[in-house]
Amino acid sequence: MGTTPLDISKLTLVQALDLAVLIEEEARDRYEELADQLSLHHTPEAAAFFKKMVGIEEKHRQALADRRKKAFGDQKRTVTRDLLFDVEAPDYDEARVFMSVHEALRASLRSEEKAHAFFADALGHVKDPEVRHLFEELKAEEAQHQTLVKAELAKLPAESKVNPLDYSDDPVGED
Amino acid sequence: MVHDLVFGMAGSGGDGVVSAGESLLGAAAAEGYHALMTKSFGSQIRGGESSCRVRLAIEPVLNPGGVLDVAVALNWEDFFRFGAELPLGPNTVLIYEEKAGAPPETLAKMGAVPTEIIAVPVTEMAKKAAGTDKAKTSIILGVLSGWFAIPLDSIVKGLKKKFGEKAPEIFAANERALASGVEFAKTHPLKNPRTLAKVEGKKTQKLLCDGNDMCAAGALFAGVEFFSGYPITPSTEVMQILSRELWKYGGAVLQCEDEIAGIGAALGASFAGRKSMTASSGPGISLKSEIMGLATIAELPLVILNVQRGGPSTGLPTKPEQGDLFQAAFSAHGDVLRPILAPTTVADTFKVTIDAFNIAEEYQTPVIILSDQEIAQRKEAVDPIDTSRFELKKRLVPTGADLDNYNRFKLTESGVSPISHPGLEKGNYLGAGIEHNEHGDPTVSGTMHAKMNDKRFKKLDPLRKRKDLFEVVGNPKATTALVSWGGSAGVCREAVALAKAQGLDVKLLIPTLVYPVAEQVYLEFFQGVQTGLVVELSHQGQLYRIVRMFVDVPKGVVPFCRSGANPFQPAEIVSRLRELR
Amino acid sequence: MEAKDYKSSLKPIWCPGCGDFGVVQGIYRALAAIGRPPHEIAFISGIGCSSRIPGYTTAYGFNSVHGRSLPIAQGVKLSNPELLVLCAGGDGDGFSIGGGHVPHAVRRNMDLTYIVMDNQVYGLTKGQLSPTSPRGLKTITSPYGSLEDPINPLLYVLAYGCGFVAQATPADMPGMAAVIEEAIRYPGFSFVNIQSPCVTYGEDEQQLTEHKKMMKPLKSLGHDQTDQLRAMDLARAYGKELYTGVFYKNPNPPPTYEAMVKLRQAEQAKGARPRERVLDMYLQK
Repeated sequence: MGTTPLDISKLTLVQALDLAVLIEEEARDRYEELADQLSLHHTPEAAAFFKKMVGIEEKHRQALADRRKKAFGDQKRTVTRDLLFDVEAPDYDEARVFMSVHEALRASLRSEEKAHAFFADALGHVKDPEVRHLFEELKAEEAQHQTLVKAELAKLPAESKVNPLDYSDDPVGED
Repeated sequence: MVHDLVFGMAGSGGDGVVSAGESLLGAAAAEGYHALMTKSFGSQIRGGESSCRVRLAIEPVLNPGGVLDVAVALNWEDFFRFGAELPLGPNTVLIYEEKAGAPPETLAKMGAVPTEIIAVPVTEMAKKAAGTDKAKTSIILGVLSGWFAIPLDSIVKGLKKKFGEKAPEIFAANERALASGVEFAKTHPLKNPRTLAKVEGKKTQKLLCDGNDMCAAGALFAGVEFFSGYPITPSTEVMQILSRELWKYGGAVLQCEDEIAGIGAALGASFAGRKSMTASSGPGISLKSEIMGLATIAELPLVILNVQRGGPSTGLPTKPEQGDLFQAAFSAHGDVLRPILAPTTVADTFKVTIDAFNIAEEYQTPVIILSDQEIAQRKEAVDPIDTSRFELKKRLVPTGADLDNYNRFKLTESGVSPISHPGLEKGNYLGAGIEHNEHGDPTVSGTMHAKMNDKRFKKLDPLRKRKDLFEVVGNPKATTALVSWGGSAGVCREAVALAKAQGLDVKLLIPTLVYPVAEQVYLEFFQGVQTGLVVELSHQGQLYRIVRMFVDVPKGVVPFCRSGANPFQPAEIVSRLRELR
Repeated sequence: MEAKDYKSSLKPIWCPGCGDFGVVQGIYRALAAIGRPPHEIAFISGIGCSSRIPGYTTAYGFNSVHGRSLPIAQGVKLSNPELLVLCAGGDGDGFSIGGGHVPHAVRRNMDLTYIVMDNQVYGLTKGQLSPTSPRGLKTITSPYGSLEDPINPLLYVLAYGCGFVAQATPADMPGMAAVIEEAIRYPGFSFVNIQSPCVTYGEDEQQLTEHKKMMKPLKSLGHDQTDQLRAMDLARAYGKELYTGVFYKNPNPPPTYEAMVKLRQAEQAKGARPRERVLDMYLQK
């Protein structure tokens, strides 16, 4: 363990499943954080969207966790979140005060793309056939998520051209 | 026979008058006299003019005395440069180096001209007896011993300690010079002979130290574990002593890059759970003010010594003044209350330092000790102190239930809440300069801010009722009163005795706790008082003004104050009291 | 210990998109990798947006006053050398108002880690010029452009002989966390300059997306991190190039200040008088 990134090529199936669970967990927690940030900074629509994403990621996580439990029971987990860095979690840099729902959705889309790229890249290293199978499946899911987000984006009314910062109060000095 | 003698000497730094004063002081202490010595210098590091006053007495003495009984001038220019610090009177025996020539006219202009003025060929005698003019002060010591019955044996013993081991031949030369001085005294008797009475009974071994020494010792006794600071006159000696001693007790001293770091590191040590201290003088305290405020809001114990010197700015770095009281009380933004304690004598500095640590630890607050250059740097022979009478206080630390969802700044009845330190499990909290809630989380709530201010003030309430932090000297029913603090209070004690001897009934209030103002103590003291003085060494009379912020001071009680450098004399206080009536 | 064990329940007040969100994540990661429990960590900061950081961890925190985190941290470390002591703040806190403390912390060489979140601007007071602002930068206090060169934080500490000097960006989370971990593990004073963009007052070309394109990991350049002179040479590119990773790591770390203090205490211990006899040192003999 340490801050050194993970060696994907050596994953066992249970580790890969645990990793998948943790990727969803990381995404869930990040959405939660971003939702908190944005509600603290009075950007309620984007906050609500991120909050919704919290539920979705949690559902994904739960499904994977159930699957892991079914296959491996209470077998000890040997991978930790500390091995992951923002796989499906949106970058902190994605959040902006007064961001629109459009922007929030686009941030989410980029996260799904990132996750997709992660699995695609991982598949280049993984040799274990069962792990390969799992990652193929997850990669496909991420692609599907992208489609879903794109569809959501398309459903939104046209994006306003107004820059909310032009109307907002100046930032407040402190300390 | 006299019971009290005040000597004053001045010369250039190369003459070594201060070191002669130390010999005199050491010899007197060894003979069981009460003795004290003050020094005064020009601003040169070495080779400037220097002077000292030495007071020897049978009874304990609390100030360096007024008009000199004996004055020694090694050259006139240096002597007169110290002006009012070395006052002459008609009864002064004025001894001068023959080579310097007859007293100049300046002397006549000074008013009270001594009736006994004696030339001693000091340089010539030194050359003859010791083979070097450097032994001048040994000639002087011999002459003084001869005329005033200062025991020669003890002076010799002192010199032996100073030179004997390293340089026996230098010691021998000085011994010859001493003998030559004694011989001179014998062959040139005073017109009006004065000899110092002998100490009767058992001679107790005395402590020979100054206020800064006492402060360092008090800190060590109180269990100081960390000291950090930056060199500044006249407080540096405290850091010097602790730099030598503190390691022995498992503590550490950090000489920092500046005054701010000096208090910063000390505060860090307190945050980590150590009894800690910093020291400075006015200019340094100005720089430390911001972190003093941090200590208040973060509720961290910290002892801050300010050895006051003349100000503002660089002011008079080597002279005493009591001009930093406003700074100590008020140099803060926001509502701040921090206890200020002032020692009145060298010996008192020991106790006050212990008090400061106890208050800091018990109430989780910065405490300022306001000493001054006079007390801090005057060497005294004082009686040993019985340390068994001092209790030490500890911080209230969280235990058991306190640590379940620990609230560092819990609003308690007393205002004091248990404090944890890094390393204690479940005691984790955020210390901060920003306002916080009970848990320690930052807040911008005005309501919480008001509650926390209230807590920080309330916890100090018990201090104003602490009898041991106030002293009334003299008849409590007297209608004439003195109020004084710090070094000036030491002078006032003698003024009370002097007034009594002259048939004047005077009482004196000495607040060791100078701030916060203990309203009740002053109100009780002022009952029935018609006239009085608040005596302090500052231009504005800062205590007088602070007390008036909180207490209706009787109209007849007025400030008696002047700028620093020249401490008060008991006689002038008594004569000022007479003028009031 | 996992990263989440170091995250407090306090919600950061930083602007959404602030680089500091990533920095604190990196710190959680590094601390988890090291594994010391939070109560054995003291995290000291000054004033500024980034100085809020100790409160977002579960360690003992001290969010002190502007520019004074280093002296306070040194007092903490000397008082309890067993603690893991972290120090953090912004570029203004560390190199402007507190700049005088940096060389002394470096030369004293206590085992503590100083993390500067460098964003080239004063954020909490609303966008004024900072000591690392580039020459010519237009801010509210330099409406016609700054007339002075920036401080170079890397060269600054290298010049005083700092034993561990690194730079990182939250755009590269694994790299940043690894560098923080390595800094904490270095037995002596270590310095990490983190380019942590200000989303509100910073320039567009300083944001993390740009960092991702600009950054050049020193490892990939084959830099020898024991080469102090080469490190200084590379550090000169501060403001022009975004080198990340370790510039310099002393291969033979000298004893720390606190280690020498321990020796001194041991040497001197036999000279201690009982505290109640302390006044005996002034007895007239």
